[in-house]
Amino acid sequence: MAAATMQSALAGAPGSAAEAIGRLGDLLYVGAGAIFLFVMALAIYSVFAKPRAVNVRRWIVGGGLVFPIVVLTALLVYSLRTGDALSHSAAASGSSESEPLRIRVVGKQWWWEVRYVGHAQGTEIVLANEVRLPVGRPVELLLTSTDVIHSFWVPALAGKVDMIPGRTTRVALRADETGIFRGQCAEYCGGQHALMALYVVAQSQSDFESWLARQARPAQRPDDSFLKLGYDAFFKGNCQACHAIRGTPAAGTLGPDLTHVGGRHSLAAGVLDNHIGTMAGWIAGTQDVKPGSKMPSTRTFTGIELRAISAWLGSLQ
Amino acid sequence: MRHAPIPHRRKVLLLGLGAVALVLLGAGAGAALLLSGAYSTAATKQHFAITYRVLETGLRYSLESNAEEIEVPDLSRVAKIEVGHACYRRYCVQCHGAPGVARDPIGRGQLPSPSRLEQSAREWPPSHLFYVTQKGVRMTGMPAWEYRISQEGLWSTVAFLKRMPFMTQAEYAAMGARSDDIACPAPSGGHPYSVERARTMFQQYSCHNCHRIDGVVGPETYIGPALHEWPARAYIAGVVPNTRANLARWIADPQVFSPTTLMPDMDVVDEHAQHMARYLFEQQ
Amino acid sequence: MNALSVARLRTMSIALSAWSALLGACGEQRDYRPQVRGGDAQRGQIALLRHDCGVCHAIPGIIGAHGRVGPSLASYGRFPHLAGKFPNDPELLVRWLTDAPSMAVATAMPALDLDEQEARDMAAYLYSLE
Repeated sequence: MAAATMQSALAGAPGSAAEAIGRLGDLLYVGAGAIFLFVMALAIYSVFAKPRAVNVRRWIVGGGLVFPIVVLTALLVYSLRTGDALSHSAAASGSSESEPLRIRVVGKQWWWEVRYVGHAQGTEIVLANEVRLPVGRPVELLLTSTDVIHSFWVPALAGKVDMIPGRTTRVALRADETGIFRGQCAEYCGGQHALMALYVVAQSQSDFESWLARQARPAQRPDDSFLKLGYDAFFKGNCQACHAIRGTPAAGTLGPDLTHVGGRHSLAAGVLDNHIGTMAGWIAGTQDVKPGSKMPSTRTFTGIELRAISAWLGSLQ
Repeated sequence: MRHAPIPHRRKVLLLGLGAVALVLLGAGAGAALLLSGAYSTAATKQHFAITYRVLETGLRYSLESNAEEIEVPDLSRVAKIEVGHACYRRYCVQCHGAPGVARDPIGRGQLPSPSRLEQSAREWPPSHLFYVTQKGVRMTGMPAWEYRISQEGLWSTVAFLKRMPFMTQAEYAAMGARSDDIACPAPSGGHPYSVERARTMFQQYSCHNCHRIDGVVGPETYIGPALHEWPARAYIAGVVPNTRANLARWIADPQVFSPTTLMPDMDVVDEHAQHMARYLFEQQ
Repeated sequence: MNALSVARLRTMSIALSAWSALLGACGEQRDYRPQVRGGDAQRGQIALLRHDCGVCHAIPGIIGAHGRVGPSLASYGRFPHLAGKFPNDPELLVRWLTDAPSMAVATAMPALDLDEQEARDMAAYLYSLE
């Protein structure tokens, strides 16, 4: 998969809140810088110039009252409008299209549960550690947590919004161009807080629709004998106690849904690349990657079983 | 010109400094000998006669003291000459020879040279013979047999050694024909686990020649993986899960899990394999 | 200067000169160093990081490489054997990196999606580990 853009609030994606905030920030830096230089120039001039009479009152009223009032009022208006544009209510009323796409993201120690509303009435598509958006369309994330306070932060798209147990907070996301953006948890939430990251992928509308349709489909028991060995190893290793894979008997809810884990951009919540090697290393060495994680290292698979289960999970695209 | 008498404190200081200088000189000379490579390690170069005498004497005195606690059982009851002969033929004759039998080439190029046992078997008490056979002699070619031969087998070998100086060539050959199908018994186990014994086992099975092991002094070897922090490993040889049972089985018979592995089958006795596996798992 | 101090000085100077002469003779020499044809160790270091090889192996010089699923690769340049079965030959290592199961059917190390150049670079880096 393509590499993500730099995880930076200074690299705001086109059309995103981060871009608007960035513009406001740039205005402040440039404006304040210019005013600073001007004032310094005046100070230097006043020290070295030949003394002469000045209309003191004009300078004090003009420079100390009128100028700040005008500039700051303009700045206030601009920043209020920017803030308004970032809020969720503006997202709904702003564009002529439909309602914003709503996605639920639940923060857990130390991964992200992501829930899309399915096409069929009342259904939910559950995935983990990755959020995909269609470009050009406003998206609203409904954020909450089931254990401690986390914070959703994708610097290139928007600011930080806390995920508080028992409450639902919201953040508006929008990208006008395709891209992959990395984000991470921004509120200390325990030992592996530093390794709780995720990727947000902005795709064209049609790519997004086909992706969502694929996510809705359940997995199937594999035909290939090697993949079947992996399928059996999954249950031998009791992985279904925590994980769900729709279309198989696995229906655990303690850990991430793995129905389409093979197609994700990363493993272990944004920590590892996603290929058969990292899948094997994550399964056999979980506690070495994320010590204290609620998933134990699985030390019961033979070498062949480990490769097989990694291959099977990788095939769940 | 006459010097003033040196005060006592000054004398002591000078003596002390002189002693330190002497020690440093000695250490420097030792280092010079070692690092210059002037000391020859060739087995074709003879010892000085005095060196030889010193080493021999040192061996005898060490045996006197270390073999003292060995209780010699009633050899006529416990030991079987035929079994001792089988062990001698399997493990000893190659270096020591036998009545009318020359030692193999392996026994001919050594320094010190393995003795012909006719004399020492006659003169040494059984406890000394047992101790040397069981424990070997360091810095010589004499291995320890404790981990390869059972206690009964060792005493049988001692009993045989006691008879051997009185055998003719024909008697020795005839005994060979009779004991052809007797095997020299391997250790049967029954010892409790101890960290010291486990470390000795690694060394006795020459594990440390391929693997670096905590607590076992040996070469800086990269032939096999280092066995440090063993419990944290997920796999044994990359194929089977790292559990105590699997490890004991691996040590005793690596080819069961990995037929093409370069780790040889060292004929490790089951109990020894279990003790070594336990040692590795109880490391931190 | 009295006779004693002169004698002491002489002793010390002899010892010192002998010692410094010997220090020059120290040091192990290694004749054999494996060479990977067409592999660049620096690119290999980046490739090992990018492919997250450290999730299974502890590898010096790679950030985050402290996995214990596979063996440590510290001092890899000195290993006589590859994966406990083969001589540690550069061409065999390159093959092992891309398709270990084809060489050892029971191994836990999967076949990885690497191109030949990446594998050569990784091998070059591993052989640089003393």
